[in-house]
Amino acid sequence: MSTPADLPAAPTVKENPSFEILYWVGCAASYDRRAQRIARAMVRLLRHAGVNFAILGKEEKCTGDSARRLGDEFLFQELATANIETLNKYNVKRIVAHCPHCVNALLKDYAQFGGHYEVVHHTQLLAELISAGKLPAVAGASAPAAAGAVTYHDPCYLARVNGIHEAPREVLNTAIGGQSLCEMKRNRANTSCCGAGGGRMWMEEDPKQRVSTQRAGEALATGAKTVATGCPFCLTMMSDGVAANGGEARVLDIAELLVERLGLNPPAAPANNAPATS
Amino acid sequence: MTPTRETFGNIPLSSQLAFYALAAASMAVFAWGVYRRWKLWRLGTSINARDLITGSLAAVWQKIRGGAKRVAVDAGAQKRVFGHGIGTFAHVSMYVGFMALFVGTVLLEADNVLSHIHHALKFHEGAYYVAYEFTLDVLGLLFLLGTLFFLGRRLVKPPALGHRATDWYVLLGFLAIGVTGYIVEALRILWQQPTGIGAHCSPVGLWLAGVLHLDVAAARSSHFLVWWIHSFLVFGFIASIPFTRLFHFVAGPMHIFLAKNVLGAMPPVTMEEVEATGRVGPADIRHFSQQQLLSLDACMECGRCEEVCPAFATAKPLSPKRVVQDLKGAMEKTAAALAAGKEADVPPLHGTVIAPETLWSCTACSACVNTCPVRIDQLTFILTLRRHLVAEGALSGTAATALRRMQSNSNPWGLPAAERTNWTDALTPKS
Repeated sequence: MSTPADLPAAPTVKENPSFEILYWVGCAASYDRRAQRIARAMVRLLRHAGVNFAILGKEEKCTGDSARRLGDEFLFQELATANIETLNKYNVKRIVAHCPHCVNALLKDYAQFGGHYEVVHHTQLLAELISAGKLPAVAGASAPAAAGAVTYHDPCYLARVNGIHEAPREVLNTAIGGQSLCEMKRNRANTSCCGAGGGRMWMEEDPKQRVSTQRAGEALATGAKTVATGCPFCLTMMSDGVAANGGEARVLDIAELLVERLGLNPPAAPANNAPATS
Repeated sequence: MTPTRETFGNIPLSSQLAFYALAAASMAVFAWGVYRRWKLWRLGTSINARDLITGSLAAVWQKIRGGAKRVAVDAGAQKRVFGHGIGTFAHVSMYVGFMALFVGTVLLEADNVLSHIHHALKFHEGAYYVAYEFTLDVLGLLFLLGTLFFLGRRLVKPPALGHRATDWYVLLGFLAIGVTGYIVEALRILWQQPTGIGAHCSPVGLWLAGVLHLDVAAARSSHFLVWWIHSFLVFGFIASIPFTRLFHFVAGPMHIFLAKNVLGAMPPVTMEEVEATGRVGPADIRHFSQQQLLSLDACMECGRCEEVCPAFATAKPLSPKRVVQDLKGAMEKTAAALAAGKEADVPPLHGTVIAPETLWSCTACSACVNTCPVRIDQLTFILTLRRHLVAEGALSGTAATALRRMQSNSNPWGLPAAERTNWTDALTPKS
């Protein structure tokens, strides 16, 4: 199931038509400079584990989650119909996405419009690969992934809405190598929102009333030096929230932490600062 | 002697007949009260409840199985009440005590009816009697314990909890019912003078009898009086159910039966629907389903949704509980306007009942839906109400820009599709 060496690092469905799993990148990781790093981490992990995957590339459109929840049902349906057509054209059966909003839309919204797929969150696939022994640490792995205490913010569309809270912790336990996780009081199904769901990602919020500030405050109160997340929206919100609290903690996606742990980061720093488009 | 007691012991036939007449009257008031609320739910769009009971027995079971299971687990076993500390303990105590007393009363009446049919059918005696009396005597204390906790909480008034004047009436009524019940039992023990296990199977009653310490004649006359007081309180309580917070006895399980909430799912709208109705999203209360309107009456204002709402916690103009209560008010006003033949008085939901800022404050995190003990879907109310605002062009600012970008570029950043894979460049550093 290894990807042929002559294919690009992240082959499209056209370049690798025999793919087994579709990596749904989502708009955030396609266009947001910070979230792009989650997608690159994922590709490094997928390649390291020898997963035969492909991306839709420019044929991918927004799932329409924000549109539907903001109340623009017909814009959502337009996007959903187009995406379902594309997914069916390439005979997609299994999808991995690192965005819980994409996971929920592909799973629950699309099923209402004839799109039925096996959809997993990237932490579920990574947990699967770890337990199958496909993500072994590279000898002389560069650095311990996280110095200091680590906490995990459960994204609501992952933990509460779709009941996925153990897979992220399994991956995280590998990524932080034996350190124990500092849990916030509100975790798993009782997690608190980062403030970006329901289309709020696209709205301005009074700095005094930010949900992200409150939630990041809870994360910092655990004494965490690293705040792990599993959602690009949460990543943005928690980063802002940590800054608003005057905190120093790093905010990272679980995939990024795992990449660090396995020593899969590119050797040269400039690679991370490639021109971004946002 | 077989331990037992006479049903309606010490109560003359005339009082027994008056008792049944009052029982019938209180149940009639109850039925009328339920009917009034049921008429309100009928304002909503049909949910085809009739479909549930058509077809073969197996087909009907198939259709109602999920709902029956939810009622058994959520209401019967109180599953969704759990997780709220001492409030959970108090509710479960009160519920267990109340249900025991309710089932016990039904069994007592069943025994009474059966023993009139044939003497051999009487079952309220012997070992059954001992177990029955003991169970009710002890569980009655749980009922009182729960009632006292909730009375205490009415004094403390936690901010998320709703308050109505009738709450005092209900809780003090419950307290009076519980206490007079024990007094009736104690006075009965005093005049009946049971011995051995027949007396000791009612430990609370026996203890109270010792405290009251009356002779047989005084016990008989007081027993008759307190029995009537207890009966009046019970009938008053039955008649009050549809007019107080107690209505959740009826609306809660009904709604739990009908509510098939799937977190993260939303009801679709079709173009045909829009063409037929000439609108997108609900604009007045009649555009919600009957199940949704029933859910408004299932709300106890326990405030759990408000406690977990991130928008409420950050001082935004949204409380999921407030949304439900405001919609409930709109339901009542709409019914009144229509009954008076004044269609113009039907309140428009947007602006009048619920402010747009309230709807835009929601992060759709689903915490309210997840925590509601009676499975109210506050989120679907909020998100479908947004549809009407969007269709009317009432959304502006950055969110409206994001929607326009999604329309024109298929992504909220508004960047061209050709740039979707730019992030991959850094994966293959050029040497």
